[in-house]
Amino acid sequence: MHVEFLGVPRQRAGISQLEVQADTLGQLLGTLAAKIPPLGEFIAVDRLHSSLVANLNGDQFISDPETPLAAADCVLILSADAGG
Amino acid sequence: MAFGYHGSYLRIDVSSGTSEYVPLSDAVLRQYLGGSGLGVKLLLDEGAAIMDPLSPEAPLIFAFSPLVGSPLTTSAKFAVVSKSPLTGRINDSLASSGFAIAGKRCGCDAIVIVGRAPELSVLVIDDRSVRLESAEEYRGATCQATESALKAHLGANYRVASIGPAGENLVRYATISHDGRHAGRGGSGAVLGSKNIKAIALRGTQRAEWANPGELTTISKSLSKRSFGPATAKYRELGTATNLLTFNRFGALPTRNFQSGTFDEAASLSPEQLSTTRSKTRESCVSCTIGCEHIYSLGSGGVRVEYESLFALGSLCGVGDSDAVLRASKRCDELGLDTISTGGTIAFAMECVERGWLREPWLKFGDGNALLRAIDLIGSRQGIGNLLADGSRRAAHAIGHGSIDFAPQVKGLEIPGYEPRALQTMALGFAVGARGADHNRSGAYEVDFSDKVDRRNLTLDAVRHAIDTEDKAALMDSMIICKFLRGVFDDFHAESAEMLRSVTGWDVTAEELRATARRIVAAKRQFNLLAGWTLAEDTLPKRFLSTPLPNDPEASLSRELLDSLVNEYHRQRGW
Repeated sequence: MHVEFLGVPRQRAGISQLEVQADTLGQLLGTLAAKIPPLGEFIAVDRLHSSLVANLNGDQFISDPETPLAAADCVLILSADAGG
Repeated sequence: MAFGYHGSYLRIDVSSGTSEYVPLSDAVLRQYLGGSGLGVKLLLDEGAAIMDPLSPEAPLIFAFSPLVGSPLTTSAKFAVVSKSPLTGRINDSLASSGFAIAGKRCGCDAIVIVGRAPELSVLVIDDRSVRLESAEEYRGATCQATESALKAHLGANYRVASIGPAGENLVRYATISHDGRHAGRGGSGAVLGSKNIKAIALRGTQRAEWANPGELTTISKSLSKRSFGPATAKYRELGTATNLLTFNRFGALPTRNFQSGTFDEAASLSPEQLSTTRSKTRESCVSCTIGCEHIYSLGSGGVRVEYESLFALGSLCGVGDSDAVLRASKRCDELGLDTISTGGTIAFAMECVERGWLREPWLKFGDGNALLRAIDLIGSRQGIGNLLADGSRRAAHAIGHGSIDFAPQVKGLEIPGYEPRALQTMALGFAVGARGADHNRSGAYEVDFSDKVDRRNLTLDAVRHAIDTEDKAALMDSMIICKFLRGVFDDFHAESAEMLRSVTGWDVTAEELRATARRIVAAKRQFNLLAGWTLAEDTLPKRFLSTPLPNDPEASLSRELLDSLVNEYHRQRGW
């Protein structure tokens, strides 16, 4: 699936997007932590630190590691604090 | 008297130059804490709800808090509280600076200013001594020039809060500035200007004791350590401006007076792009370990860049030229203008021009020079600026043609950078906000950016979340600590109770603080009721309730849904 980073995750990852294979959100986060070590501070095994959130296809925010993902999905990783 | 307080407020009548310290009971301090809470309580006691906010008798209150002066990170803040000349409702603006610490060292928990000085004056408070000095030589000076000149004149150990030309000219969304920060929303600068006070300069030596300094030090160290962690990384690394690309990605970036939720030129205004072409430094408020201020180079100087300024002066006005937007932001800081209301009112005027309802053909979406010209006209109340200086609601009533339907305001306060149709919990927060459309008194956008709700298809379940964020904000604004710390707490109410216990010695609990927050929110509502509030005000402009977002048809909010959310909000509040 397609993964897009916004804000601090993008800054830390040094890229804005990449393609990853995973069946669940937990798998995806585990893969990201392994592939992009600077994101490790924000990922505890299969969950995001509370300062980040994940969004599925621009619609639904997801947090359950068992959330199923499909190959055509786009997962956005962004800061939870939207405030200005 | 409780630790952490002086147990009195300083009431100054600038008409006569007289002042007195008025006792504050422990009961009142415990019930309203400080900051916004104490300010609203004092405002109610002064009978301000039924006064013209720009009349001499209307009070303007600077309220400190028990935590001010403590080693707790981000605690050097104060609230400016008055009836708003923009909305006619309660207004409380918070800001951080050494002014908070110096003000409390004058031996008071709040400063209440009434009256009107016979000439433009500086109010000087030297410990417990109060005097007025002529400010004629500073007339027309920018906030920054006034502050520098007064420090040179009085001494560098004075802390200064001042108004710019906008405050002198009673622009209804003028700010009060200090240390480069602003008490920004709702027009407190106009209230100070109406009192003929150009600036307040103060210094003091009196310290409030803490109940348990050892415990306070331990808590402070823990909080500071956590403030360096991932929960505040966004503010340290990119600043609030990073919202721009995120909101654009979600179709929630207000553009061209809320006619769209995406802006083609958003990338050019983003901090990610700005930092590739400009040098950048980072600064912190006094007593803050986060350091959210990102200063970008502009000409030979620099400008503080925040999301709300970028959105309001950028995408909302259709301006993608970063140089123009940064210049506009800096100009607002100099004149002492709230960037959100400035951008919102200008964007509204641009749409009126586009529709042929306002004969100012130069005032076009996307034109950076027009934006800068309009800002100067507003600050000086010249030409079209005189109309726009009263805000979008009053301008709409003067322009007619039903333009009130798209004037971007709630209760007269211009809407901040959150598209209500795409972020519907925030839409509720805007509608019911006591001071109008407000992202600082309701953090409901956090709920929209979570798995608690479907942000574009809200149910009544969202109401309790919106209430929680409003109560939490009321507590943070009254203790006072910065909202950018909110992510570091495991249990916000329990940890807040610990902080207050160590400072005040009270046996305060998390449950008591939840009740305190509700009491403060209710006090704001009481003020508004006395000022003439009706349920019809708790709504959004027609544009948001009749037209889906063009770029996102799912982002649609009906009047029926908003009304049901508002009614449920009032039911759950018990009002």
